[in-house]
Amino acid sequence: MNLRAWRPSVAMAARNLRRNRVRTLLAVLGVAIGVFAVATLGIFGNVLALGADDAIGDIGTQVVLSPNADAGVESLSEADVAAIRRAVGEPAVVPLYTDGAIVASASDQQFATVYGVERPGAAFTAAEGSLPERHRDGAIVGAGVAEDLDVSVGDRLEVAGGRTRVVAVLAESQTFSPVAPDDAVFLPESAFSADGYSQVLVVSESGTEARTAADAIRESVNAREQRVDVFELAAVVDEINEFFELLGTFLLGLGGISLVVAGVSILNVMLMSTVERRQEIGVMRAVGVTRRDVLRVLLAEAGLIGALGAVLGTASTVVVVAALVASTPAVDTAIVLDPTNGYYLLLALGFGVGVGVVSGAYPAWKAANERPVEALRS
Amino acid sequence: MYSVELRGVRKQYPGGGAEPVVALDDVDFAVEPGEFVAVVGPSGSGKSTLLNVLGLLDDPTAGRRLLSGTDVTSLSVAERTTARKDSIGFVFQDFHLLPTLTAVENVTLPTAFDPGDAGDRAVDLLGRFGLGDRLDHEPAELSGGQKQRVAIARSLINEPAVLLADEPTGNLDTETGESILAEFERVKREGVAVVAVTHDPLVEEFADRVVELTDGVLVGSSARNVSEDAVGDGTVSDDVDGDGNASGSEEPLRDLFGGSRDGDSGADADVAEEGEDR
Repeated sequence: MNLRAWRPSVAMAARNLRRNRVRTLLAVLGVAIGVFAVATLGIFGNVLALGADDAIGDIGTQVVLSPNADAGVESLSEADVAAIRRAVGEPAVVPLYTDGAIVASASDQQFATVYGVERPGAAFTAAEGSLPERHRDGAIVGAGVAEDLDVSVGDRLEVAGGRTRVVAVLAESQTFSPVAPDDAVFLPESAFSADGYSQVLVVSESGTEARTAADAIRESVNAREQRVDVFELAAVVDEINEFFELLGTFLLGLGGISLVVAGVSILNVMLMSTVERRQEIGVMRAVGVTRRDVLRVLLAEAGLIGALGAVLGTASTVVVVAALVASTPAVDTAIVLDPTNGYYLLLALGFGVGVGVVSGAYPAWKAANERPVEALRS
Repeated sequence: MYSVELRGVRKQYPGGGAEPVVALDDVDFAVEPGEFVAVVGPSGSGKSTLLNVLGLLDDPTAGRRLLSGTDVTSLSVAERTTARKDSIGFVFQDFHLLPTLTAVENVTLPTAFDPGDAGDRAVDLLGRFGLGDRLDHEPAELSGGQKQRVAIARSLINEPAVLLADEPTGNLDTETGESILAEFERVKREGVAVVAVTHDPLVEEFADRVVELTDGVLVGSSARNVSEDAVGDGTVSDDVDGDGNASGSEEPLRDLFGGSRDGDSGADADVAEEGEDR
């Protein structure tokens, strides 16, 4: 498209729009509201989905394996862990010993789950201190336990009577999982004298990877004998994600309706204005302005209404979303600033301009193709 | 070569009944470069249709149409538009200026969407029509006579072969009308053929030739004041003053006739005298 050829058309269109400012403004407002509705509802749905994903995402990426007591398996051996490692491939496999014990700090004490873990870094993240590559010494404390007992890195801790020191405090867990690290203390494997692991965590990067891993374990490790119970929530997470996708589409649809209404209002404005200017358009055609140029002027008018409305609607969306984030601490700023929300802004912007051009097309075509003789006669 | 010529042109519209309405019936009409022809006739006689057919706004049902010797009888819509822009200027009773555009922009309207800027020529034209100080005024800020001058300037922006005027003085008082007609004289002196459809006797006074349409039939043609080179085939000069120097005359033409005619009745008499010339 030759943009230069459009310049005189756009200039003339801008002037025509200024002629009836109130009408133009109302049409622009209509588009702005439509774009605002599409953008805000789209972002709203997206933020919900992102938030949910953020909150439940970890469940979907974890597969928890435990010995199948029904088959008489009491614990998982090194051989089982090796078999699991072979089966899942890429994802980290973290075997855990489990026990329960009284955990005491200088000021307080409570009962907590105690895990024995060799590679805590593969499954957990530290809020304070750092997780050792291989856990040989000291205790890693879950966020809940650390708060209850009021301990931090370097503090003394007594676990089942044995003295140790806190080397790290874990970040608060966002997940729902059979392994609840918040209320647990992690010791080196050497602290346990058990002859088998009670749980194995398989930590993957994504839900899909987790599902593949779970399937692989079912097929190979459990091939001959149901040695392990496989606990995975990836399928549930998929369902939840699907729901949010549906919700997002539904909200976009709601916004889209208002954009359609805006389109009808542009159609109305353009039809009215071309009927009013019938003679003018006839004169333009009579003095030698081509149909294409008349079409361009009128399309530019509708497009300008759409673009102005779209910019206005997008800008107000940004303002309103920013205000909401500022006034609602519960909303995670990082989620709102997610690039996918920008995509909804662009989508709404594009739709606004598109609605203008599409709604303007018929009146413009009609006016451009009217015979100048007829137009001048009126 | 004629600036514009119709040969045996017939134009009919589908009417309400079974019979089509014949707006032009076997019309032969030709205008020389530099000739000012007035077309008169009662309402509904086909004057506007004649102008529309001449101006390539409407196509004849039958017959031929030539523009500066080129057959333009059946052109596509786009070709007609281009031909109008290149060769034809329009002046309307209601001026038909675009209210959002300044005088200069109205004058350049025909070329507004073309590459290149006709602004200088527009300023020049407006200056010649005494509107040098109204260049950036919008139509609402101009008087009727000034608007019609802007319209004439617009019709000339592309140096047309033919200027077609539809009741150019219809919305103007007599004095302003005269000054507009004086502008037409200047235009025709530049070799532009001027055809004005009118009810106004004043226009007839200024015209070189007056033709009358009745019920779509060109019933008469009379030369009022035709310079030698402007006498075309099929026109019979009744040699009002015989000096044939209209185009060079500084005297306004109306003075030559001053009071000798009183509009339609005079034209009718002339027409009767001439009879059919086809």
